[in-house]
Amino acid sequence: MKISEEILNNISSLSKIKIDEKIKSDLIKDLESILKMVEEMNKIDTSGIEPMSHPLEEADNLRKDEATDEIKRDEYQKFAPQTDDGFYLTPKVIE
Amino acid sequence: MEDLSKLSLVEQINGLKSKKFSSIELTEFYLKRIDQEKVLNSFISLNENALKEAKKSDEKIAKNKSSSLEGIPIAHKDIFCIKDQKTTCGSKMLENFISPYSSTVYEKLSSSGTVNLGKTNMDEFAMGSSNETSFFGSVLNPIDPERVPGGSSGGSATAVAANLCSFATGTDTGGSIRQPAAFCGITGIKPTYGRVSRWGMIAFASSLDQGGIFAKNALDAALALENIAGFDEKDSTSINKKVPPFFNQAKSKDEEHVVGIPKKIIEDIKDDNVKNNFFESLDILKKSGVKVKEIDLKNIQYSLPVYYVIAPAECSANLSRYDGVRFGHRCENPKDLDDLYERSRAEGFGEEVKKRILIGTYCLSAGYYDAYYLKAQKIRNLIKQSFMDAFKEVSSIMMPTCANVSFKLNSIQNPVEMYEQDIYTIPANLAGLPAISIPSGKINKLPLGIQFIGNYLEEGNLLNLSNKFQQNSNFHNE
Repeated sequence: MKISEEILNNISSLSKIKIDEKIKSDLIKDLESILKMVEEMNKIDTSGIEPMSHPLEEADNLRKDEATDEIKRDEYQKFAPQTDDGFYLTPKVIE
Repeated sequence: MEDLSKLSLVEQINGLKSKKFSSIELTEFYLKRIDQEKVLNSFISLNENALKEAKKSDEKIAKNKSSSLEGIPIAHKDIFCIKDQKTTCGSKMLENFISPYSSTVYEKLSSSGTVNLGKTNMDEFAMGSSNETSFFGSVLNPIDPERVPGGSSGGSATAVAANLCSFATGTDTGGSIRQPAAFCGITGIKPTYGRVSRWGMIAFASSLDQGGIFAKNALDAALALENIAGFDEKDSTSINKKVPPFFNQAKSKDEEHVVGIPKKIIEDIKDDNVKNNFFESLDILKKSGVKVKEIDLKNIQYSLPVYYVIAPAECSANLSRYDGVRFGHRCENPKDLDDLYERSRAEGFGEEVKKRILIGTYCLSAGYYDAYYLKAQKIRNLIKQSFMDAFKEVSSIMMPTCANVSFKLNSIQNPVEMYEQDIYTIPANLAGLPAISIPSGKINKLPLGIQFIGNYLEEGNLLNLSNKFQQNSNFHNE
């Protein structure tokens, strides 16, 4: 699979990671070599095989739907980059 | 006074109980060792309360109120959150992150009486096989400081191998316990997926990540693992099954073994030293009375491509939480919200982490999902099936841990070549099976490991087999 600059820009935007123009061509080479290795998968016929998303068949230990004291806003906001009166601050979103 | 740091965990527990030495003395011994071996860069941070913890343990021992690992100084991979202590995951993104809560693994070991010496260095977000992707610098292999200790849990492996702690915790997503254990000449076990709680263990690929142990030998590993395993209601993927007494099981004479040899995989080993070592190790097992049987593990050769779709896909989702808003690194003067996200993540993550997020995002994006992600999940099922077929005939499977001995720092630049480091370790993660690596000899002074993979929840059987091997060899003491 060839990765065009357009595809790279698209995944950069989807993953919200800014990519430096200077490294784009090297990065494309690396991503292409990884995808080439990954495409070995095409050698095997998987028709009729169920996808496996998880190693455990019974992984559904949901806890009781009861309020806990896990969420401690003041404590958790102590290490946030910027907060004000219990809110997380970001640059203005709506003009 | 004898070198306390060289004693095994079992010997240390006995020494503390019989008051041959105190936990303070033992802890001081290790702190001195850590200082002497600073150049290895094994630790990201030290616990300033280590000696206070040791004092508390000594008081409990004096009152005969000690817990199972009372007073034993250990190290934690810096992926396990510890309340009010820095937890960086080897990343600039979390350089200043002080965790507001503790992981279950830490809590369990703490209530077992261990003394926390500090947090060990690791590949950034556990993504790497050499410990060279850490924001805090590479860790050096104590056997040859020009070489890597393996990764991602390279700091923990080095800390155990260089006698900087009694045992250490680690995590294994594609080989991150077993490969560094092999490179550093120690024992490392990755339990069954779900055996050890992932609560408070920073997520990389949630269907593959599993916490485990680095120790000097299989009996030490068994004892340590006993203390971290078990159901945890805080982890929805935790297995609700009783934990057997691994230590007793490891020593038991009643455990039966039929070890499977995956013929094609062994035939295809490229490095002659690794191949010869495999057969020499097999001879040791045979001499100790273990039965062996050739098996066919179909489709295992697809493990690497499957892993490099599934792990990046899960990582791209898990690492979306680092947004520069709630915690972690934030860029200077963002001009709008997108700029805040895009620059905070570009600056906070290292190159390998970004590469994997991009690959994962690509494999999950519209138009490519079926061809990559769904395809990988289907092959994952076939790989699991191959293991299940094999376990109808054998109790465990033996393979090399790595394709080679430790390599020189900065010697592998190609990403795929680096990923191939995990070729023998990844299959166990894809299926969620327990696996252990133990030392099996040296090539030009550099250690090699062999790996045993077991059926679900059969950690005890693997530890027993490993102990049997170690009773009939001395590689773990060299």
